[in-house]
Amino acid sequence: MRFMMIIKADKATEAGVMPTEELLVAMGKYNEELIKAGALLAADGLQPSAKGARVRHAGGKSTVIDGPFAETKELIAGFWLIQVKSKDEAVEWAKRVPFDPNGPSATSDGIGEIELRQLYEAADFTRELYPSDEVQQMFSAEGDFRRQTNS
Amino acid sequence: MIIRKADDETEASMMPTQELIDSMMAYNGEMIKAGVMLDGAGLQASSKGARISFAKGKPTVTDGPFTEAKELVAGFSIIEVESKAEAIEWMKRWPQLDGHGNVQLELRQLFSPEDFGEEAIAQFDDLAKRKK
Repeated sequence: MRFMMIIKADKATEAGVMPTEELLVAMGKYNEELIKAGALLAADGLQPSAKGARVRHAGGKSTVIDGPFAETKELIAGFWLIQVKSKDEAVEWAKRVPFDPNGPSATSDGIGEIELRQLYEAADFTRELYPSDEVQQMFSAEGDFRRQTNS
Repeated sequence: MIIRKADDETEASMMPTQELIDSMMAYNGEMIKAGVMLDGAGLQASSKGARISFAKGKPTVTDGPFTEAKELVAGFSIIEVESKAEAIEWMKRWPQLDGHGNVQLELRQLFSPEDFGEEAIAQFDDLAKRKK
């Protein structure tokens, strides 16, 4: 099963403060362990929301609002996609994300939060729910593609 | 990264209708044809997730669900485009059936290795090689 480990934003990430070299090295080592365990599918850092935008669709109309966005705690600063056998295993990985205990690191004041979320898999879109051949073929093709690219 | 924010239905684990799947397929197909789409996935409701909070380096685990649906993520697409404007154009074309026509999308730019300096680039290259 796949999980997304989400690092929440904070004042530093929203201000575009780059991580210290020490933290970057610790992250590099952590990622290497994920790779060695065959668990890492993807990982990326997000630029501050000032470089982003929101698009709201309502009643057939779309409205664009440029960043930055004020609710720092609701924002995302980075993520990993991991492949694991259980939620427990994902929690174990999340516990080991390097945070500088003396902060600021990726987070302010040594306080940080990872949100763990399970991803939908092709197998969740069953024929019972979606009888059309087209949908079933698409999800089976996606499953094959992911097996090839992730192995 | 296009983030599709959660709502009451995604948090209630309501699966999309066949019609919505069809229109998402058509939309993703167009992004794939344009060479824009790199990845994408839907997230299960937060009840299947957890939060791990760190205080002075010590992790505390809290299982979902989490109540602030509007703050949660329900899905994402990773796209590669020439400009922010191009990304916004794609977002405007998001399937109207999603969220019954009421959906909140957030666009966020990803860091590239170049943003971290030469040493980091070498390390990223090394990691990328070993992953293959």
